[in-house]
Amino acid sequence: MFVVIVGGGRTGAQLASLLLSQDHEVRVIDDRKDVLGRIHHELPTESIIEGDPLEFDVLEQANIQQADVVAAVGTRDDYNLTVCYIARTRYKVPRTIARVNNPRDAWLFDERFHVDVAVNQADILASLISEEMSLGDMITLLKLRRGNYSLVEEKIPAGARAIGVAIKDLGLPDHCVIAAIIRNGEVIVPRGVTTFEADDEVLAVTDSEGALRLAELFSRAAKDGSREARVQRSVRKGLLGGS
Amino acid sequence: MRVVIVGCGRFGAELATRLFQGGHEVSIIDADEASFARLPDNFEGRINQGEALDRDVLHRAGIEKADAVAVVTDSDILNAAVGHVAHTYYNKTNVVVRNHDPRYRPILEAYGLQMVSALSWGAQRLEEMIYHDDVRPVFSAGNGEVEIYEVSVPKEWSGHSLSDVVIEGTCIPVSITRAGRAMLPSAQIKIEEGDIIHVSATLGGVEALRNHMNMSK
Repeated sequence: MFVVIVGGGRTGAQLASLLLSQDHEVRVIDDRKDVLGRIHHELPTESIIEGDPLEFDVLEQANIQQADVVAAVGTRDDYNLTVCYIARTRYKVPRTIARVNNPRDAWLFDERFHVDVAVNQADILASLISEEMSLGDMITLLKLRRGNYSLVEEKIPAGARAIGVAIKDLGLPDHCVIAAIIRNGEVIVPRGVTTFEADDEVLAVTDSEGALRLAELFSRAAKDGSREARVQRSVRKGLLGGS
Repeated sequence: MRVVIVGCGRFGAELATRLFQGGHEVSIIDADEASFARLPDNFEGRINQGEALDRDVLHRAGIEKADAVAVVTDSDILNAAVGHVAHTYYNKTNVVVRNHDPRYRPILEAYGLQMVSALSWGAQRLEEMIYHDDVRPVFSAGNGEVEIYEVSVPKEWSGHSLSDVVIEGTCIPVSITRAGRAMLPSAQIKIEEGDIIHVSATLGGVEALRNHMNMSK
């Protein structure tokens, strides 16, 4: 794949390194002296284009007309929007991705500026943090691209209310499936009759509602009035839950 | 007319003042509160502090009901983006943006926006004023790419036909004025000293005309 990255700041440079390590062809465009000084240490010279990305000859020098993807990851939203607009309308780039710097500008990142995918970092961070707050020790291994499903992992502590209960009797919501249990280093394929034991590592495919229910089942039964009980109540009420 | 102006620098403040004095309803946006100090004391238009790409700010400024939107900050890219938003997200047909740095003119053109390039326009005016006064612009179209020039016929051209002096492809004659009476030109017409010819031409075209005139002198 050939990817043109506009903006060589931390995000752009990191993205370039990642893509290069996966053997993709990459061009990074930037005209800030300090940024260029830094990325010349991090990236091969042939992948760096020095110039103002909103001058057509600079974009053409980066061979944008051949790009499979243009990623606009600069720090100004008006620039990122314009890069996507020009990439599509002038150079027929099939896929455009733009970084949203100010969440208040997010409403503009759509087909009218020819943005195919908007990456809203503030939004992502906020929802990750709110998820961490509500899900305790559960680790999100993978966000599935379509829908709101994730692959999550959690270790069952001693005293959890799920211990000794068969999966079919846990009352899991429809959108939550136990995919595997790792017990003493062995993978167990779960059935309805399988029961959990302390120290089981559980892998589940679930949406956010199911994740909250799992977090509840895999935590110790809390005494009323304790801090844990308050948190669990808040979680049930959806006060801490992500969208 | 209800006009939303984005950018209250010297340019925006001047435009806002003129429109306000012309009796129009003006609403002006700028991210910097201090910039509104450029407006005159008697300015009664609406003042909106905030970022121009923020939907709430645009709505507060009344963009939905505006008859015209002028985007005149000193950032061409911001002007382009806001102009595109006014045009595409709010279906405004009367949108004009300012081109600050001629380097970014192609970006504004790519968005298909009507623009005023004060710098290119001013420089061209000056350039023309520096030249002789026998050929002078009287009307300017667009940002001065094509202009109507007034040419006084020198005595060396007397008796020539119009097609001898106005070279095809660079200049288009639009009228001949003789003794205060204008007529539509035809290529065969014989011109006389003292006639005034109006031609429509690019800067290159008028240059060729001047050279031709100087050579025949």
